Amino acid sequence: MAETVYSHESVREADAHAEAAHIEHDTNTGISNSKLAMWLFLASECLLFGGLITTYILYKHPLDGPTPEEIYDIPFTSTSSFVLLMSSLTMVLAVSAIERGDHHRLRVWTAATAALGATFIAGQVYEFTVFYREGLGFTTSRFSSAFYTLTGFHGVHVTIGIIMLMSLLFLSLRGKLPEHRSETVEIVGLYWHFVDIVWIVIFAVVYLIP
Amino acid sequence: MSVSTHDPVPTNVLDGAVREYSRDKVYVLTALVLAAITLVEVFTYAFPDFPVWADNMVIPVLLILMAVKFWIVAAIFMHLHFDKKILTVAFYSGLILAVAVYVAMLCMFRIFWPGSHT
Repeated sequence: MAETVYSHESVREADAHAEAAHIEHDTNTGISNSKLAMWLFLASECLLFGGLITTYILYKHPLDGPTPEEIYDIPFTSTSSFVLLMSSLTMVLAVSAIERGDHHRLRVWTAATAALGATFIAGQVYEFTVFYREGLGFTTSRFSSAFYTLTGFHGVHVTIGIIMLMSLLFLSLRGKLPEHRSETVEIVGLYWHFVDIVWIVIFAVVYLIP
Repeated sequence: MSVSTHDPVPTNVLDGAVREYSRDKVYVLTALVLAAITLVEVFTYAFPDFPVWADNMVIPVLLILMAVKFWIVAAIFMHLHFDKKILTVAFYSGLILAVAVYVAMLCMFRIFWPGSHT
């Protein structure tokens, strides 16, 4: 059996009453409004990223400046993609940990997810810097504008996710994230996984499809 | 309440679930499958003459691999496979709407016609 680690008395007390908090939600759907709202938000995000990806497809052939084939570093981006993919694993393990009442593993996996996300962002900053030095500024061509806008928007989403993860970690360390509030972690996890699946699409459509 | 990571998370501690969530081992195996698919994607770049995706088949192959990865993350990691159907309907409605709108837009710009991007 996994060992549950409690660092705060308040968490222990809150968890003692956890089962009563996990009954079916008193809504028409039986799902909490927060979780349903997050799913609807993610559905609307499909339209946002759909627009940005479509714009990129329309503008991917530049009239001047460097072309995608000349400037992309596929091995480097593949490594970044792998890092973000593995952050989805650590995120789901964090959700699993709090649902089992294991606060120690929750903190470990949440911190690991934030670290992997930060690694991905560092890689993106490096990639942007290299591209800029090779002559691909934001206004260089229609391709560069579409590329930086799409990947930049995704980077902002990852950064917001990291902030949410750090907030969860802070709450957990302060003893304000008991087991019966596991849905909070799950909702942050949904956002994080969505950011990952958007990158799955960007990696294939933007970087790999010739 | 604490349970071993070898056990599934029971539905009575989950929000809106109709099935028990996976054991952690299943999540790790899922991540390995995703990593393997990503490796195949990278191979399409590294070995463009491989028979499976030679002769203009690279785009369909990449789109299929992308869709499989998307579905696996949504179903297993985001728990759509285990939660109530309404969440699947809500999410995929937005996704299908987005795809339909933007494919129509790409058609308007004749992006699928030869020579349209020059």
